[in-house]
Amino acid sequence: MSFRQPSVLPGFGLTFGFTTFFLSAIVLLPLAALVLAAASMHWSDFVHVVLSPRALGSYRLSFGASFLAATINLVFGFIIAWTLVRYEFPGRKLIDALIDMPFALPTAVSGIALTTVFAHNGWIGRYLEPWGVKVAYTWLGVTLALTLISMPFAVRAVQPALLEVQRDLEEAAETLGAHRLYVFRHIILPTVLPALLTGFTLAFARALGEYGSVIFIAGNLPMKTEITPLLIVIHLEEFDYQGAAALGLVMLGISFVVLLAINLLQAWGRRRHVRAAH
Amino acid sequence: MSITLDQVTKRYAGAPVVNDVSLDIGDGEFFVLLGPSGSGKSTLLRAIAGLSGVDHGRIALHGRDVTHVAARKRGVGLVFQNYALFGHMTVAENIEFALRVRHMRAKARRQRRQELLRLVALEGLDQRLPAQLSGGQQQRVAVARALAHKPEVLLLDEPFGALDAKIREELRRTIRQVQRELGITTVLVTHDQEEAFAMADRIGIMNLGRLLELGEPHDLYSRPATRFVATFLGAANLILARRTPDGIQMGANTVAAAESSPGVHEHEVVAVVRPEELEVAASREGLSSGYFARGVVHEVVFTGAHESLRVRLEDGAQTPLLAQADGDASASLLVTRTQHEQRGFEVHPGQSVAIGVRRVHVLPTPLSSFTACAASAALTDTLSRQPLLAELAVRMKTRIAMRAEPQLGVADAACAVDSPFVGTTAIASQTDCAQRAEWLLRRGAQDLLVLPEHAAVPQRVLIHWMDEAARSATLAVSASVLRHLSAEAVYVGIFPEQSASAHPQHGMRELLDARSEAQLAHGLEMRTELRFGDVAQQLARRLAEAPAQMLIVGVTELTRFAERLGGLLDGGQWPVLIVYRGSP
Repeated sequence: MSFRQPSVLPGFGLTFGFTTFFLSAIVLLPLAALVLAAASMHWSDFVHVVLSPRALGSYRLSFGASFLAATINLVFGFIIAWTLVRYEFPGRKLIDALIDMPFALPTAVSGIALTTVFAHNGWIGRYLEPWGVKVAYTWLGVTLALTLISMPFAVRAVQPALLEVQRDLEEAAETLGAHRLYVFRHIILPTVLPALLTGFTLAFARALGEYGSVIFIAGNLPMKTEITPLLIVIHLEEFDYQGAAALGLVMLGISFVVLLAINLLQAWGRRRHVRAAH
Repeated sequence: MSITLDQVTKRYAGAPVVNDVSLDIGDGEFFVLLGPSGSGKSTLLRAIAGLSGVDHGRIALHGRDVTHVAARKRGVGLVFQNYALFGHMTVAENIEFALRVRHMRAKARRQRRQELLRLVALEGLDQRLPAQLSGGQQQRVAVARALAHKPEVLLLDEPFGALDAKIREELRRTIRQVQRELGITTVLVTHDQEEAFAMADRIGIMNLGRLLELGEPHDLYSRPATRFVATFLGAANLILARRTPDGIQMGANTVAAAESSPGVHEHEVVAVVRPEELEVAASREGLSSGYFARGVVHEVVFTGAHESLRVRLEDGAQTPLLAQADGDASASLLVTRTQHEQRGFEVHPGQSVAIGVRRVHVLPTPLSSFTACAASAALTDTLSRQPLLAELAVRMKTRIAMRAEPQLGVADAACAVDSPFVGTTAIASQTDCAQRAEWLLRRGAQDLLVLPEHAAVPQRVLIHWMDEAARSATLAVSASVLRHLSAEAVYVGIFPEQSASAHPQHGMRELLDARSEAQLAHGLEMRTELRFGDVAQQLARRLAEAPAQMLIVGVTELTRFAERLGGLLDGGQWPVLIVYRGSP
C-alpha cells in the first residue's frame, strides 16, 4: 500500500504531516491525557465515581435530553430548511441569517435568556404555570436549551441536500399519479435521509457537550436536573481531577459508541443501494 | 379530439408567455410544438400536463375539461429533458412507480414492466440503477415509466436535448415506433426543426408565446405564411419584391410566381426563396429557370450531400434582400446545390454567375417594409432609430427606407420624391400630426405608423376600425404586427351612446364576427371589449388606462380626418398604426 496518490496539487507529504500533527496535538493528545489521568485511579475508586447514583442520573439526563433535542431538531430543522429552500417570501434572508444566531451567541447568554422567558414568572412561563407545566429548573428546560443550541446544525446539514432535490423528480412523480404525501415519503425523504442523519448526529454531539446554557435553566438539582458536564465541573471544583477524568472518559466512550453506530447505519444504507444495483 | 386547447394564456409577471393559444390535436396524432427557446412551448406543455396552471382559457383531454384538474389525475405521461429518473430506485422500481401508486399487484406489475422494457428495447436491465445507464438508456427508461399507467396522452419535453447525434437518431426511431404501436396521442416539444420534420404528423410553430402556424411539415416548409416560420424552418432568402399582373418582379426581372393572382394592383411583397430553389449557371442562357440577377460567389462550403454557396448580387442595390435564416442582412443569397448540380457546373469563390429562380413563395403578410418619412433627411434618420420602429424592423427581418418630404403636411403641395409609397410609412407624432397623416394618405400611403419619440414595444395592442369596410384589411395588418410582438390583442368595439339600449345584439354580433374572422383568416386570437360614446374619445380614454399600449385603427374615409383623429394623433403619447384602404 502506498501513501502516494496522484493529485493535481503537489505536496501530499507536507499536507499529510500537518493533518496528523494537528489531529494529534489538538484531539488525540488531550484525550490521551484524559485516559491517563483516569488510569492512575484505583479500579474500585473508578467504579465508585462512575457508577454512583448521582453520576448515573446525570448520564440519563445528558443522553436522554440530547437525544430528545436532536430528534426535535430532526423534525423542525427539516421543516425550517424546507421553508427556506422552497419558498420565496419577504424576510427570507433575515430568517436564514437568524438560524446561525445560536452559533454566535455565548451559550451563557442563551441560557439566561431562556430562563428569563420560561421561569415561573417569565413571559411564557407564567402562562404555563397554571397548567402545571414547569420548564425552568426541570428536565424540560434542559431539553429546551439543548434544542436551541443544536438547532443550526440540523438546519444547515439538511439545507444543501434539499436544494439538490430536483423539482423535476417531484413533477415526474406527480404526473405518474402520486399525491403529495407519497411524493414526500418515496422521493424527497430517501434523497435527504443521509443529510438528515448527519444533521441528527451533529446536533446530538453538540448537545452532549453543552454546558454554558444548561446550567442557568437546569437548576442543577443532583439526580434530577444535573447534566454530566456539570458533575465534572463540580468534581473539578473539589480538586478531584481523577474523578472528573473518569466521568469524562465515560462520556467519551458512550459518545463514541453512539456516533459510530449512526455512521455505520449510514454506511449500511449506502451499501444497500449499491447492492440493489447488482 | 384528444387534446383541445381553447385560448390558453399564461402570464409571468404580467407578460404573457403563452398568448391565447387554441389548438386541436387528434387521436393518435404525433404533434410537434416547435419554437426557439423562450417561445412558450415548454410552458404550454406543462400546462397540458397540469404542472402549471393557466391564467385564461380551457384545456380538455378526450373531451374532459381538465383545466382545474391536478396533474396526477390527468392521465398523462411526461418525459423530461433531463430524464428525471428517481436515482435511488432501480429501473424496475422506476417503471413500476405509477403502478405501485395505483396499488397494482406485484405479479401484474412485473408483467407490465417486462412488456414496457421490451417496448423500449431494454430487456434485462431491471435491477440497474439509473446512474449505471447511458443517457440514451435512461431516456428509454423515462419513456417506459411515462407509459406504465397507460396514459391517454404522452408528452415529451425536449427528450433528446442531452443526447449525442447518433443516440438521438436511434431514440427518435424507437419513440416513433412505440407511438405508432400504441397509437397514443403524443406532443413533442423541441427547438430542432429537423427533429420536428422527422417525427411530426403535424407541427405547430410558436414564437413569443403565440402559436404562429400549424400544418403538415411539407406544407409549412413550402408555403409558410410568416417570415418567422419561413426562416425558422430551414434556410430561406427573404427578398423584397413587387407583385405585378405578370408575376413576381424581383429587381429588374420578373420571375414567374408559383401562386399567380391576376387582377391585383401592383404592390410590394415579401418573397421567400429556399436556397435549393436557386440555380446558378455561367450565363443567363445556361439557366433552366427564370433569370433573376447576376452575382459573385464569395463563399463555397461543402457539407457532404450538398454544397452551399453565398452569392453577392452585382446589382444588389436594386434588389433588396431582407435576410437569411441566420439574420445576416448582408446582400448575399444562400444557394444550395446537389452533387449532381456540382458536377454539371463547378463554382469557385470570386466567380461571376447568373442566378435563376425555380420557385418563389410570396408571404401573405401585408407588411413588407418600413419607410421613415419626415421633412428633412436628418429627421428621417432620427426617426429610423426610434426604438419601436427599429425593434419591429429587426423582428420582421425587414429594412427601413428613408424618404424626405420637405413639403410634408403643406396642403396642395406635391410629393418631392417621385415614386409611390410602398410598405408601411412611419412618421413622428407631433402637434399637427393628423394633418401630416392625412397629407400622406391622400398621396398614396396605405399603412401609416405614427410614432411618439420614446414609445417602445407595446404589451397590448388595441384594434378598432372606423367602418366595416376597413375590417378585413385592419385584421390582416393587426395579425401581421402581432405575430412579431408578445402583446395581447384587444378589439375595441365602440357604439354611439344612444344605441346602447337600442341595438345591443347588433353590437355583440359585430364583435363576434370580428373575432371569428380574426381567428379563421389570420389565426389571431383576440379579446373583445364593448364601449359606448364618441370613438376618438373612447379610444383615447382606453389608451390612457394602461401603459405600453398601441392602437391599430382602420379607416376608409378621409373626410374630416384631422377632426376625427386629431385627438388621438396630435402630440400623441401612443404609437398608432393607421390602416387606410380607400381611394387616395
